[in-house]
Amino acid sequence: MSQKQARWAVGVLGTLGVATMIVLHWMVFFWVPTESRMGLVQRIFYIHPAAWWIAFLGFGIVGLCSAAYLWLGDERLDRAAVTGAEAGMVFTTIGLITGPLWGRVAWGTWWEWEPRLTLALILWFIYLGYFLVRRSTANPEQGKRFGAVIGVIGVLDIPLIHVSVTWLRSLHPEAVILSADSPMNLDPSMGVTFGVGLLAFTLVFASLFLARYTVAGYEHELDLRDGIPAATQGAKA
Amino acid sequence: MSFGLEAVGLVRSFGGLRAVDGVSFQLQRGQLLTVFGPNGAGKTTLLRMLGGVMRPTSGHVRVAGAPADVVSREWRHRVGIVSHQSLLYSQLTIAENLLFYGRLFGLTDLKTRIPERLASMGLSDRERTPVRELSRGLKQRVALARALLHDPEVVLLDEPYTGLDPHASAVLREQLASLKDGRRTVVLVTHNLKQGLELSDLVAVQVQGRFTSVTDSLSLNLAGLEALYHAAVENPA
Amino acid sequence: MRAYLALVWAVARKDLMVEFRTRERLTAMGAFAVLVGLLFNFSMDTAVVRPQDIAGALIWMTIIFGGLLGMGRTFRLEEEDGALTGILQSPIPLDALYLGKVLGNFVLLSVMTVLVFLVFGLFFDLRFSGSSVTLVAVVALGVLGFVSLTTLFSAMATRSSMGESLLPVLVFPLLVPVVVYGTTATDRLFAGRPVVEVGGNLRMLAAFAIMFTVAGAWLFRFVIEE
Repeated sequence: MSQKQARWAVGVLGTLGVATMIVLHWMVFFWVPTESRMGLVQRIFYIHPAAWWIAFLGFGIVGLCSAAYLWLGDERLDRAAVTGAEAGMVFTTIGLITGPLWGRVAWGTWWEWEPRLTLALILWFIYLGYFLVRRSTANPEQGKRFGAVIGVIGVLDIPLIHVSVTWLRSLHPEAVILSADSPMNLDPSMGVTFGVGLLAFTLVFASLFLARYTVAGYEHELDLRDGIPAATQGAKA
Repeated sequence: MSFGLEAVGLVRSFGGLRAVDGVSFQLQRGQLLTVFGPNGAGKTTLLRMLGGVMRPTSGHVRVAGAPADVVSREWRHRVGIVSHQSLLYSQLTIAENLLFYGRLFGLTDLKTRIPERLASMGLSDRERTPVRELSRGLKQRVALARALLHDPEVVLLDEPYTGLDPHASAVLREQLASLKDGRRTVVLVTHNLKQGLELSDLVAVQVQGRFTSVTDSLSLNLAGLEALYHAAVENPA
Repeated sequence: MRAYLALVWAVARKDLMVEFRTRERLTAMGAFAVLVGLLFNFSMDTAVVRPQDIAGALIWMTIIFGGLLGMGRTFRLEEEDGALTGILQSPIPLDALYLGKVLGNFVLLSVMTVLVFLVFGLFFDLRFSGSSVTLVAVVALGVLGFVSLTTLFSAMATRSSMGESLLPVLVFPLLVPVVVYGTTATDRLFAGRPVVEVGGNLRMLAAFAIMFTVAGAWLFRFVIEE
């Protein structure tokens, strides 16, 4: 994708994303009816899980691109992975901040070992490990490879972690949790709003991803000009 | 008729630094190349690539005409390496070290091979001595025994005279001289101009990752070598 | 295949031989096990808490923390006199090198685990009447999963400037399934529950162990090469 195309794409996606976000917020605050059981706070249902979805999508990208980077050695794959990781970590952090906020109102406590929140906390640390390890080597190529290894291990482990955490939780159904899964009186318009929420976040993520990826490309070109060589040899081994 | 050892455009970079910046040479079977150069010239990196310890960023190595295949590790059977570090396990005895490395190289006749090798290097009576109890000179002898155990066609030596007293130096010199049996191709890296010159067929000076010249040492005496060396170091190409 | 296994065994055997001579890692892990047991004793009010009820947690936390101590030094030996160069120069496939290290570490950590069970059994008067075979299976699989991950990461720690202090940050989040399934299975077995209740845990522990041993074997080459 040429520079011009990239800028155009970022612009379009960004505008669409922001527009959808505005529509979403209008829908959330003015259009969709209040859910009868949980009341006003339930409205976070349209925003919060969407943020989670991006957090995990981010890591999915990290995992796939990391594996491909190790296999093929193309530096662009590493760039995509790191971009996905940055965006993913941002949304995970958002989720970890908004989650307890909702929890305070819905459950009465700031923190609950509820499967999604637990998994998000673990995911946040896996992201952290990814970034720490990338910076820990003298040789930047090696750092990228190490990060990619964490990416692959992480993406393999996350489903197992999810299953284990959910299973453990099912053994101890403690507080009555009014989670997003518990029966809500769903008006069809709520489903629509939820869908719009997912779409809005995905568009914003896509434009952020593309923008950051393009910037990473410029950074790389600058590095090249300074005499830092391009892709490592194909890592097929 | 293939070459004993061939390097084709070897490059190795670490981030922004090109430790080896395009080295090529061809050695006939039985020849000995001595590489001189200041510290930081990339000589160790070059040797590590020749031995398969490190992967080139670009370029390749050919051992006895066959490419040093990145995927298959088989070609490493034909290469032995001696470093200024002993590459030994200090808590194990000489025999145990050789046994371990012999197994790594897939040797099956170790029961006869090890005693023979030790005898040829005057180490038989110390077979059961833990390596940490050996003097530096003896350790180097064991290191050489280890490198030669699998009878490699190519022998790489990275500053083997480092830290040796005159007697140990002389013993090593004898051992190296015996390597010149017409079968083995040798690359020797050393700071010692005199010893490096007297065994060599070819001489190269490596500065800032590149060979400034590859000269036939028949036409070179010590004074000539000194002049060549200083000229190369002061005016890198 | 036989040659491959011989290589794996050569690496493991060498590690165990050295460990047997120096006893460095075993001593560190063993002392840790005993001292942690001591500290646990002081940190629990046995009038309120029955150690028998939380045996799983006590044991597994000790295995993980103590194990990390020992595993972190996996490649320390190879660093000292540059032996890693010698190994990398040899034809040994890098996944065989990894598996050999995993095997050696597995043996070492198994020894520590036995010690933990004995010491904690003694200190906290733990009674076990369940199926020993199942308990051994649970622990063996959990330890294997732990070892396969930490061996891979300790290679990274050795190759980078981060050192062993970063290992817990990297490894602990990833070990959650082992902790979850290992401790609940152990607790259930200690409580005398039937073996069938632990079947699912065993399967998950096995899945974890197999997945990360295989993944580690493939990924190791990207970590150990410079």
